Amino acid sequence: MKQDMVASAGPSSVNAPKGKPGYLLKDLIRDKWLYLMLLPGVLYFLIFKYVPMYGLLMAFQDYKPYTGFLGSPWVGFKHFERFFSEPQFGMLFKNTVILAIYNLAFFFPLPIILALMMNEVRHARFKNFVQTLVYIPHFVSWVVVVGIFYMLFTTENGIINELLYRLIGEKIAFLLEPEWFRTMIISQSIWKEVGWGTVIFLAALAGVDLQQYEAARIDGAGRWRQLWHITLPAIRSTIIILFILRLGNFLDSGFEQIFLMLTPTNREVGEVFDTYVYTKGMTQAQYSYSAAVGLFKSIVGLVLVLGSNWLAKRFGEEGIY
Amino acid sequence: MTKKWALLMGSAMLVTTVLSACSSNNNGQQEANANQPVADNPAPAEQAEPLELTIAAHLPGEAPAEDNPFELALEKYTNSKLRFQWIPTSGYDDKINVMIASDELPEIVKVSYVPNIISSMQNDVFWEIGPYLKDYTNLSAQPETYYNNIKVDGKLYGLPVFRPVGRAVLQYRKDWFDAKSLTVPKTLDEWYNVMKAVAEGDPDQNGKKDTYGMMLDKNYNQGVASTLTRLSVSQGGPNKWKVDDQGNFTPEFMTDEFLATMKLFNRLYEEQLINQDFAVSDVSVIDKAYESGRVAIRISGGNAQSMQTNLEKVVPTAVMDAVGLEGPEGVRVPGENGNAGILAIPKSSVKSEEELKRVLTFLDQLLDKEMVYLINKGIEGTHYKVEGDFTIPLDKEADAKEVKPYRDVLLQRGESYNMDKPMQQTPLFKKNNDVVIENEKHVVANPALTLLSATYTDRGADLEQMITDAQTKFIMGEIDEAGWQAAIEQWKDAGGAKMIEEYKEAYLKVQQ
Amino acid sequence: MMTQDKTIGNRIFDLLNGFLLLIIALLCVLPFVYVTAISFTSPAEVAKGGLILWPKEWSLAAYRYIFSTDTLFRSMLVSIYITVVGTLINLLFTSLMAYPLAKTHLRGRQTILLGVLITMLFSGGMIPTYFVVKELHLTNTLWSLMLPGAISAFNLIVLKNFFQQIPDGLEDSARIDGCNDVGVLFRIVLPLSLPAMATFGLFYAVGHWNQFFNAILYINDNKLYPIQVLLRQIVILSQSSIGDTSIEQTEIQPLTIRMAVIVFATVPILLVYPFLQKHFAKGVMLGSVKG
Repeated sequence: MKQDMVASAGPSSVNAPKGKPGYLLKDLIRDKWLYLMLLPGVLYFLIFKYVPMYGLLMAFQDYKPYTGFLGSPWVGFKHFERFFSEPQFGMLFKNTVILAIYNLAFFFPLPIILALMMNEVRHARFKNFVQTLVYIPHFVSWVVVVGIFYMLFTTENGIINELLYRLIGEKIAFLLEPEWFRTMIISQSIWKEVGWGTVIFLAALAGVDLQQYEAARIDGAGRWRQLWHITLPAIRSTIIILFILRLGNFLDSGFEQIFLMLTPTNREVGEVFDTYVYTKGMTQAQYSYSAAVGLFKSIVGLVLVLGSNWLAKRFGEEGIY
Repeated sequence: MTKKWALLMGSAMLVTTVLSACSSNNNGQQEANANQPVADNPAPAEQAEPLELTIAAHLPGEAPAEDNPFELALEKYTNSKLRFQWIPTSGYDDKINVMIASDELPEIVKVSYVPNIISSMQNDVFWEIGPYLKDYTNLSAQPETYYNNIKVDGKLYGLPVFRPVGRAVLQYRKDWFDAKSLTVPKTLDEWYNVMKAVAEGDPDQNGKKDTYGMMLDKNYNQGVASTLTRLSVSQGGPNKWKVDDQGNFTPEFMTDEFLATMKLFNRLYEEQLINQDFAVSDVSVIDKAYESGRVAIRISGGNAQSMQTNLEKVVPTAVMDAVGLEGPEGVRVPGENGNAGILAIPKSSVKSEEELKRVLTFLDQLLDKEMVYLINKGIEGTHYKVEGDFTIPLDKEADAKEVKPYRDVLLQRGESYNMDKPMQQTPLFKKNNDVVIENEKHVVANPALTLLSATYTDRGADLEQMITDAQTKFIMGEIDEAGWQAAIEQWKDAGGAKMIEEYKEAYLKVQQ
Repeated sequence: MMTQDKTIGNRIFDLLNGFLLLIIALLCVLPFVYVTAISFTSPAEVAKGGLILWPKEWSLAAYRYIFSTDTLFRSMLVSIYITVVGTLINLLFTSLMAYPLAKTHLRGRQTILLGVLITMLFSGGMIPTYFVVKELHLTNTLWSLMLPGAISAFNLIVLKNFFQQIPDGLEDSARIDGCNDVGVLFRIVLPLSLPAMATFGLFYAVGHWNQFFNAILYINDNKLYPIQVLLRQIVILSQSSIGDTSIEQTEIQPLTIRMAVIVFATVPILLVYPFLQKHFAKGVMLGSVKG
């Protein structure tokens, strides 16, 4: 397996020394087709992603739609200062980070585990059947998911609570009590997205060479050893890349879901940056303020991505770039 | 493998062809000819030429077909060429802001009275139409309040999409009240007794404790339809804000009436006489409970007749009734803003005073008798017919699809203006309607409705949430009265006190 | 398969694993069954409440209502069009760009990748992006729903990673046959990456299918709205408090109709995956070729 990684990391066909300026022109000519292929994509990113980037500067303005970008006054770090000095900033930061960590710890590994479980199924039809069903919840909108959870967990004739009442003679206000909020959020995310999350790992698993299993079996390797030595290494780089990219959205909490689950009684643990900015924006379309908060979130994401990518490379992984 | 390659290449070719087809000429698709905003060619306002108008408004359930008979009739009468730009609700505000930023506003746009729009009004994005109003018969004939309620710094920047100002009506299960010999509650004690009697008396006689006097949804204390406000107003409390002669403002939640109302609900909650999960209940869930005959009373802006119709499907013997929301001193209801949005005229699309006058003429014509009938009832023979002193609806489904979308957006005041033959309705519908009309005499105005406060603009939603959260916690017994007082202090410190001052300042300025 | 697999332990594992997966699958599908069942139940039955997993009183009224106009059909066609054409554009653009980036010897590769990565984290926001789309004269055309998202940075980076795992030996043989890089991509790399293509095709297709906000922003003509715009209008408006409270309560559609719209708008995209599964299986076979 190690060999594989090395083989794919470096080009075996072209051994031109890299980085010496004298070879630059030669390299460019050699790779002319590759550069041509890059062109549409690079243009796309420049036009649709980089041209609008000036919008980030709105964070330093008091942007109003009717005065436009050029006509809006510059206010420096006003919005950042205000954001960091909000009385709720500490609470928001804590809630957002805890939720993000819960997500990484409890949600992130599950699609991998589920994909591995499906990978162990020999019966092709059963496997297809399971695959087709588990990805359905992804298409159910948050409004409907939250509605279904309400039906299950509410204290007024909710199915789970009726059951609890019969079993322990007591009801639990899952949807109201702060201590249940994160559990509810994470379990909804798991239910909705775990099957969808397996798709990419199944694709990675589909690329695993079957002959390797064959060889391992001849060597007397059991299922667990095959899993450990063949399957997992094959999807390792996919796992690492997905993890690093997920860190880029570390402070994004999934606005719609949380907004729908917030109640006056669980807000102390449930309010996150995204919902807070939304509430603020209700009275005033605060483009500049939300741009400032967005910029803050992006910078945190950037630091996390670059840091973890550097770490991954230190450990000999390919990383993102 | 070659086959697959061919397939891939084929699809790539297809994409390329489609792409190039696009860049050379734009007719590759179902691109409607709506590309060009009409605003680009301001035709000289000659009376003979039909006026070209685009109106941006909220998408109803489903957009009506273009150039349908309704639109044609409207265009013919007003000598105009109309285009309705229906914008879905989930992106409405963003779309309007993008249109403002890119100068793509149509001639008429429906906006809400919110700080963001108010500040664009102050910055001359829209025409100030106040001075012109007197020249238009219908527009100038409408009650002042409707206009006053949407003024900014005393100036009028649009026309209100008229709605009744006192919509709160008490709808209740008359059959249950009769069977249990209950009377419609007036004082808070009576409210408590009725709630208890219904919740514990098994009025549906199914042997289960599954009925409530009233059910709340999670928005029970939000905005104009707040149940807490409605009840506390009926008990003599203010509508959102109280103001004295010196201009000192007090928020409703610092008044005794409001606290008493909260205490009532706290007691009801503790004794399990209202739904215990109200803080998470969607309004759709509550609607369903009402429709399945599990609840006795509702204070709402809906009509008892539609409740009756829905209820009958599940409980054929149910009887609904509607009465005014009475307190110890008679009917007292919070006054609402009297509109469902504002039709504003942007300066970027309507460039000259002359054009403005034509657009205003169009809007004025909407309140002409012919148009009142069209907008309220549809096309005669298709949607309604005349019989004696009444009109009778012919096809309610067609009305909902073909007329209601326009009725919701265009100017109309129902039976209250220029309509001599009202729609024939069931007695219950009429009774409910009469309560609404009667309410107008008993509305309690919100004195802060059009006052501007920088703090409100800046953090109004925050402050509001702070206090509505505390109300819920108080009702649920999570905080006691001391905790509630602490929450009020916190609200004051966070900007509430400043808001009170700013309202006073703005109020005194207007009073002078 | 293998004789040595038939140990007791393995059998127990298989049984347990299968059982667990079956339960998970059922948990996933039950809510959709609920939604579908309600859409086929008579409104009166629904009003009585309770959990419905199979219609007691069948009724097609909800479907009859939603098909009484051609609005939903038309927006379904729009959705299918942008999903099919949009996904083809996505796959073409993404693989064209991912392939060179998978070549570690390419000069400037790291800079470009970093540039791509940054777009995942930083975005200019709604209004500046709108101006770009407007300046390109894409507003109010279906291109505005396909081109601004032609490449997803996430998919690009992951696909690049997939490409990197393909042994270079296979490509070399094609080069000896006289193919240039474009030829290698289309003749060797893409056919070998069918599972990846199916995966990202699915990601893109679902992305197109679910988009509604761009449609509201960029499209003025109601006839060009994709199905999700209508779905949200009908379902979300009536259920949640998201949105402006000053808007008048629009007539709330009965639950049965809302559920019927959900079923109508979801089933087509659900059908995509079983169709793609074939390619996952083929991928496995191709995998054995490459060793």
